[in-house]
Amino acid sequence: MRGTSSPASLCARAKELGYSALALTDHNSLSGLWSFLTACKDHAMQPLVGAEITDTSSSAKVICLVRNSTGYRNVCNIITKRNSSEGFSLEKELRKQHDGLIILSSSLSLLSGLQKYPMDIAANLGNRPTESSSRLRRWAQNQDIPVVAVPNVVMAEEREKELFRLMQAIRTNSRFTLQEVKNTSPAWLEAAAVYRDRFSVWPEVLPATGQLVERCDFTNPNFGIVMPPWKDDSGAEAGTALYKAAYRGACKRYGTDLSEAVVERLEYELHTIDSMGFSSYFLVVRDIVHNLSGENPKRTPRICGRGSGAASLVAYCLEITNVCPVKHNLYFARFLNPGRSDPPDIDIDFSWDERDAILNRVLEKYGTHAAMVSTLIRFQPRMALRETAKAFGLPPGEIAKVTNLQRLPGAKNEGLASPWPEILQLASELHGVPRHISVHPGGVIITPDPISDYVPLQIAAKGVPVIQWDKDGAEEAGLVKIDLLGNRSLGVIRDCIASLEERGPSFDEDYWQPEEDRQTKETVAAGKTMGCFYIESPAMRLLQQKAGSGEFEQLVLQSSIIRPAANDFVREYIRRLHGGTWQHLHPQLAEVLDETFGLMVYQEDVSRVAVALAGFSHARADGLRKVMSKKDKLLRLKDYYREFDEGCAQRGVDAEIREKLWQMMMSFDGYSFCKPHSASYARVSYQAAYLKSHYPAEFMAAVISNQGGYYSTFAYVSEAKRLGLSILPPCVNASGVRWKGNGREKNIRVGLMAVKGLSAETMERIRDKRSGNPFSSAVDFWQRVRPQKDESRALIQAGALDDLTTDRNRSRLFWELSQFRCLAKMQQTSPLFGLRLPQPPALQPFSQRELQRQEYGVLGFLCETHPILLYGKRLNGRTQACNIRQHRGKRVTFAGWLISGKLVSTKTGEVMEFLTFEDETGLVETVFFPRIYRRYAPVLSSGQTYMLRGKVEEDYGAVTLTVEHLQKL
Amino acid sequence: MDRSIIHLNITDFAVAVERIRDSSLKKIPLIVAPTQAARALVYDMSEEAYQDGVRKGMRLDMARRYCRQAQVLPPRPTLYRRAMAALVKRVFCYTPLVEQGEEDGHLFLDVTGTHRLFGPAPDIAWRLRKQLLQELGFDPVWSLASNKLVSKVASRVVRPFGEYIVGPGEEDSFLAPLPLSLLPGLKPEEIRVLADFNLLRIGQLAALSKRQLLVPFQKRGSYLYDASRGRDRTPVLPGKTGCDRISREHVFAEDTGSRDELQSALTFCVHEIGRSLRRRGMCGQRMGICLTYSDGKSSVRQATKKGGSDNDFLLRSLAFIAMERAWKRRVRIRSLLLACDRLVPRSRQQTLFAMHSTREFQQEKIMTAMDAVCRRYGSGAISLGTTF
Repeated sequence: MRGTSSPASLCARAKELGYSALALTDHNSLSGLWSFLTACKDHAMQPLVGAEITDTSSSAKVICLVRNSTGYRNVCNIITKRNSSEGFSLEKELRKQHDGLIILSSSLSLLSGLQKYPMDIAANLGNRPTESSSRLRRWAQNQDIPVVAVPNVVMAEEREKELFRLMQAIRTNSRFTLQEVKNTSPAWLEAAAVYRDRFSVWPEVLPATGQLVERCDFTNPNFGIVMPPWKDDSGAEAGTALYKAAYRGACKRYGTDLSEAVVERLEYELHTIDSMGFSSYFLVVRDIVHNLSGENPKRTPRICGRGSGAASLVAYCLEITNVCPVKHNLYFARFLNPGRSDPPDIDIDFSWDERDAILNRVLEKYGTHAAMVSTLIRFQPRMALRETAKAFGLPPGEIAKVTNLQRLPGAKNEGLASPWPEILQLASELHGVPRHISVHPGGVIITPDPISDYVPLQIAAKGVPVIQWDKDGAEEAGLVKIDLLGNRSLGVIRDCIASLEERGPSFDEDYWQPEEDRQTKETVAAGKTMGCFYIESPAMRLLQQKAGSGEFEQLVLQSSIIRPAANDFVREYIRRLHGGTWQHLHPQLAEVLDETFGLMVYQEDVSRVAVALAGFSHARADGLRKVMSKKDKLLRLKDYYREFDEGCAQRGVDAEIREKLWQMMMSFDGYSFCKPHSASYARVSYQAAYLKSHYPAEFMAAVISNQGGYYSTFAYVSEAKRLGLSILPPCVNASGVRWKGNGREKNIRVGLMAVKGLSAETMERIRDKRSGNPFSSAVDFWQRVRPQKDESRALIQAGALDDLTTDRNRSRLFWELSQFRCLAKMQQTSPLFGLRLPQPPALQPFSQRELQRQEYGVLGFLCETHPILLYGKRLNGRTQACNIRQHRGKRVTFAGWLISGKLVSTKTGEVMEFLTFEDETGLVETVFFPRIYRRYAPVLSSGQTYMLRGKVEEDYGAVTLTVEHLQKL
Repeated sequence: MDRSIIHLNITDFAVAVERIRDSSLKKIPLIVAPTQAARALVYDMSEEAYQDGVRKGMRLDMARRYCRQAQVLPPRPTLYRRAMAALVKRVFCYTPLVEQGEEDGHLFLDVTGTHRLFGPAPDIAWRLRKQLLQELGFDPVWSLASNKLVSKVASRVVRPFGEYIVGPGEEDSFLAPLPLSLLPGLKPEEIRVLADFNLLRIGQLAALSKRQLLVPFQKRGSYLYDASRGRDRTPVLPGKTGCDRISREHVFAEDTGSRDELQSALTFCVHEIGRSLRRRGMCGQRMGICLTYSDGKSSVRQATKKGGSDNDFLLRSLAFIAMERAWKRRVRIRSLLLACDRLVPRSRQQTLFAMHSTREFQQEKIMTAMDAVCRRYGSGAISLGTTF
């Protein structure tokens, strides 16, 4: 936020102005180091590594330039201290850690303090000669200290001044007016001749600056690959320990009589892992997952090892992953191959509410040797627009309105009044600029030496230490990352099983094979998987319906093929699946793509095709696979394309086939998955689908309680009703904090967490106070729980106190509440035992419609009915969702409640949307093609009811409604 | 003796004045708002524009979208002030007890006991309406009741056109079927609490005893009890309401985030207040500011000086302190209201020592000169440089 230009644009501009070296000195940070080094390499510039470090108790600041690796370590440690300790003193720290650093400062008092010690210091005269710099120069010359000119450049060119001013207004939370930020004097990169002119009065300054550059010959930190350290109390060597652990695990997984295939694979993997020096990495991950090395070792019950690591049989044997790589033919080379120079990473999912405890345990165990990876938050279009408008002083409501308008297709800015045109212009310039550092969802780095020797740290808002590099920077530096991520569905499965165990015999997970269960397969094949991990989105459910298959292998394939740029291939896949004729684009692909109907489905297919047809090495092919997911891939892909094309041509592949193959590879643009990842997730999907098929009440209660699913609570409640379950309203005597399913009675009790505005403390209090002694009346409840006024109001409106009244008259309850509060206020000093309220007046009970309005307002859904039914006669003439299928090929009118949507772009770049609507009988997937979408986008809003008219279409058994007309009800 | 209170209401006063000035505007939907400012707010609108969804305080660009055929006119406060004065002048012929608001076309007339002079109260109202229509072109809504509260509710019931007479003793039966939102003086929070009790009509509220109402509403319970029964003993206060303080409001043509603009407007308001204080021979001890942001939220802060002052320069520094205290958000300012209260008479005692050379004395001389210029050439004829 203190500079407008990216390292790349600064390097480009410096090159244009004829400079050969450039220093990037971030403010108390080395965040931009790796992008700066890359930019310098691209522009053949000499990088000067360093940082600007400020004191916390004074305005003093220095620029530290790194001369060697000791200096690099020192600067990392100083920044770490600066960012994490309260009593930081810049002068004191520099005195301790100045080796290998050149220290520049404009502060006379700081320099006079530092010059007493044997340090490499220089006086910095800044951007131009001034009165103060003249004083500094005279003093430095008297002390025989070199005098240099290092301008405080914060932008590449002068035209970025307005953007700089805006960024300062955003950074300091002030107004974008001249008055507020006039004290900042930004400097931009200027030609050498300009500086020569400026400093012509002091001719010794620029040569001294040049000499300083020559002394900084440190170009980049080079640690090699930094593995997390592992040691055993017995002193066993990591390779041996892994060997033993892997075979022990294999016996547990497959029995003592290991098959040849398993042994062969295990030996190959162990040999590869050991020769690449990754044995300790596996053992550390195992210890983290199962907490074996602590004082109280115990197994972590529910995890999902995912990513390419799931391809490793060793990981499977160590119980880091859950899918057998031998059975499912998972490609180990995607994870590790001898030619791979970058570190692999193993990703582990934990239940979302257990993850933080595990992270804390790791950070506590490894102390100064562990920290989390950061993630660089950049201004995205919406954020840029919002922040700019806030700096211009516009009110929040207006900002939200215009921001939403900008999202609509074909948004026009002509009608916007001043100052919006200026805001939109500046916001577009702000797009992509780094905003701040945040914490990566789960990336942890563990190093053999203190981590601040490798990279500066800072303390994140949530209190954990984070390194100042994102995952790409960590990877460039060779720091091996372990991803410990949160997964809500693991929490859902855990809660559902716990609920089953509460009511009956224990659920035996060891022999649980949900993939083999007939009913589960039918659920998956029918796409009735709302609430099931990874396969609940409308697109996925439609694909499942089209495929009509509930087989595990099929689901693994489908969850990979459904990626943003692969629509054509999805269609082709369905055609081929249903018996359509096809042949491999080239006979040599048969071995690679046989199981995927000749289509590239998994990430590793890209590498495998490149190896098979273009003669790529495994490492080079993996490089091609990786570059697909990079943001700046276009330039780098050119080389790969040429190499692929030439390689294929040499092997006699036709130009047309080469082009088709390349296009198929390009469909992996954006996100895509490898087979091990899909297989791991499919396993969790099947577990969820099994529970939904057999225990819908418990499962749906767990889905809603764990929140964060693809759909809103409203949509899940509707799904539960469609599954034949009744929804019982919240009740202070019967509801827990979470939702509770009862399969025997086919109902779900709404949890107190559903009541808007109810604090976690009050929920806990309700649970504690009623334990063994249910509330006998509303007054008894208020007396013992003492909820806030708004909380009481919400509970009444939600119907949670209805059971405590004789006549369910909520207006009376409100009256009693106000009486109780009034009396409680008067008797604050004396206890309220035996309190009796006077007889309330004869208040009319609310009408049914008003009760429903209140219930919807406070819960966001209706327990007994679907809100669409409240439209009464206005629904006349509609076709219900359950009957839509019968009207295939015809036009129907359908009244639907909008529950979710997904925007997509057509090949021509037009925007269209797939929207899911529901009524009281079912879901309807709709398609809004670009012309219709442009017309109706402004009135589309989630949670609203619309009358839709369109044509019912069927594709391989999946029914959709192509909307032609829409009207808000 | 039963009182006779007439409430006269010229709906959409600014629009009514504009239509009298230019009869060609009578058939056209009108919006009164600053036309030069890019982010202007609606000052007033005609009934047609209201029916299309335009509301006071709405952003003009939005109002234009709601009512595309509306003609937009810039507000002319001086004209509305003159029209209001003409209105009051005619009303004074019937009673000296006339209470008026700001230039909004609302008047309460207490015509109790004027029977022998002008005939029955309804006749006065009819005559007044006829007179205002003939002489000024206004067609006011009027209502007659035994107190201000009921007469105001009656006007609300019949507006935008018509008249209503609530006879003595008929107040509660008149009010009973009406929605609570028509009852003046009810706070939004009170309406919400009443809705919680499923009380939606005034009659339902009137069914509760005072004792019962005191529980949820404490002191306000008495007001609700009386109001729901149509009881209101407040007298008709001649002149403008709120004379225990001097205040000036400034609405920015376009909302602003500029400190200079804010200080300039503040300086102008301070000068106006200072002149008023000096004219009355009073000193203000407290300057309060109410900043209204673009999103309608407001912030109120004060600054005080013991003993008070009528010196513009000192009052301005108090106002600036209050402004700094109040202006805590980044959101632009739509308007500011500056009020000077805790008024005390100015001390006539001279200082013991000569103060010719003091800054205060010089400032006093400047202010006296400025006041003289303003007296002769009108308000705004001379101002401090910082006003511009």
